Amino acid sequence: MLQVKDLKAAYGQVQVLHGISLSVPKGQVVTLIGSNGAGKSTTMRALSGMLKPTAGTVMLGGQSITGLPAHRITRRGLAHSPEGRRVFPAQTVRDNLLLGAFTRLTIGSSRARGDIEGDMDRSLDLFPRLRERQHQLAGTLSGGEQQMLAMARALMLNPEVLLLDEPSMGLAPILVEEVFQIIGRLKAQGMTMLLVEQFAAAALAVADYGYVLENGHIAVHGPAEQLRNDPKVRDAYLGSAH
Amino acid sequence: MDILLQLLLSGIALGMIYAVIAFGYQSTFATSGTLNFGQGDALMLGAMAGLSLSGSIMGGPYVNYWLMVPLVLLIGAFQGVVVEFIGVRPAIKTKSEFGWIMSTIALGIIFRNTAENLWGRDDLPFPSPLPTEPLHIFGANVLPMELLVVGGAILMMVLVELFNRRTIYGKAVVATASDRDAAGLMGINTGLVITFSYALSSMSAAFAGVLIAPITLTGASMGAVLGLKAFAVAIIGGLTSGMGVIVGGLLLGIAETTTGFYISTGYKDVPGLVLLLLVLAIKPSGLFGKKAIKKV
Ligand SMILES: Nc1ncnc2c1ncn2[C@@H]1O[C@H](COP(=O)(O)OP(=O)(O)OP(=O)(O)O)[C@@H](O)[C@H]1O
Ligand SMILES: [Mg+2]
Repeated sequence: MLQVKDLKAAYGQVQVLHGISLSVPKGQVVTLIGSNGAGKSTTMRALSGMLKPTAGTVMLGGQSITGLPAHRITRRGLAHSPEGRRVFPAQTVRDNLLLGAFTRLTIGSSRARGDIEGDMDRSLDLFPRLRERQHQLAGTLSGGEQQMLAMARALMLNPEVLLLDEPSMGLAPILVEEVFQIIGRLKAQGMTMLLVEQFAAAALAVADYGYVLENGHIAVHGPAEQLRNDPKVRDAYLGSAH
Repeated sequence: MDILLQLLLSGIALGMIYAVIAFGYQSTFATSGTLNFGQGDALMLGAMAGLSLSGSIMGGPYVNYWLMVPLVLLIGAFQGVVVEFIGVRPAIKTKSEFGWIMSTIALGIIFRNTAENLWGRDDLPFPSPLPTEPLHIFGANVLPMELLVVGGAILMMVLVELFNRRTIYGKAVVATASDRDAAGLMGINTGLVITFSYALSSMSAAFAGVLIAPITLTGASMGAVLGLKAFAVAIIGGLTSGMGVIVGGLLLGIAETTTGFYISTGYKDVPGLVLLLLVLAIKPSGLFGKKAIKKV
């Protein structure tokens, strides 16, 4: 579904990604792990068009989306729940969700409208605490609730591929578990996902395949099962802190 | 007492004009962090276009005042698109922090010069669509046109607010204003939203132009002072607050009419400017502003 070849990206003069190749097959969950500053979020940004890659190719469903602006990549069906939530604080929870479906609601847009109300319902079923707060301004939600909203909002695109950048960030342990359950449920429904998580062990448990990113290079990759048992990956990423 | 009421009412009408123009400054600042310093000239173009359509200076009148207004709004919107396209887009693309300042000022001067050549340098009267006999309200004399100014200004702001709250496109504008990158991830073409905000900004200036023209005179230089004062209002009220420009506009409008009467018309601009200096010294983000001017 998503095919990335030799992707490079930089902030100004500082090169951060030095040629990354990865692939996210349809219906699978792929996770990207790595230490702080390895370039995980940068990879996500380069895929969704928040950051323009300097080299390499990105294919979505067999078509190149390399270098397209973010809004056009979104219209092709790639949803990105970015690092740091980035909800629209002055708008209600419901409005945030509707904005997630923007490309389905507008005239002449490439995405099918489908059942917006139904999808809204399903999103709110997935995150019941958002349902109670749907008329509240997003800025008044707790950090964890905003995190859920960011995820629900991305789902409102009805995406072909969902990029999740640390969906458990700032959540209480019980809620972290809940988020991983939700990811599992989405996977069971056939959602294709690329997941970045600080809880590498949990990410590898839900994922089919994993890539380990070190300083902008892919250091190791393989089936999630294999990475979990790889002693080097274990020591570096599945230790006590993670 | 009657005279004070009258000064208040005139001040309110003037203040609402400032508020409408200041609203235009806000709309582009919100989405792009840039301002159209040719706002005053957009106002002038609106008034001149309105006069050409519904006055008798160019072989007209072609349409009456009420039909002219929507046409002028369209012209204003188009002018805003031109300003954004030529003056602002390149600066945003190259992340130039100040490029847009000079280019919007330059475009304003070009528009003014063009207007001088098209319509001359003299001020022209603008036929009033309403009776020019004042109404008596609690003993004060009020021009019907002044009521139209206040009503028109409020109507415009209510319509924009409804658009922002009720339609998905309006929500997209608000989202772009609060987080441009995140709005892009929603599939919103944020570049187009910025163009739209420029259209809206010049459109509101043009609207202010045809509202105020029947009370004042129309001429190529009419926009300069109004544009500057409305900028002061935007700073006083806060560049991020809708409520702020209304309050700021009313404060400035009333300060001007009362000073003009009780002290001297020669000093009527002073209290507003003193207010501006005070606000800048004490609360630089404006009376209602949330954060200081720094975005991009
Ligand atoms: N906006 C930016 N401007 C300049 N440099 C940046 C910017 N964002 C990230 N970087 C740099 O790029 C590198 C990779 O950052 P990135 O955010 O991709 O890391 P990450 O793997 O997501 O880390 P974390 O686990 O902390 O989220 C870091 O060295 C960071 O300092
Ligand atoms: Mg990150």
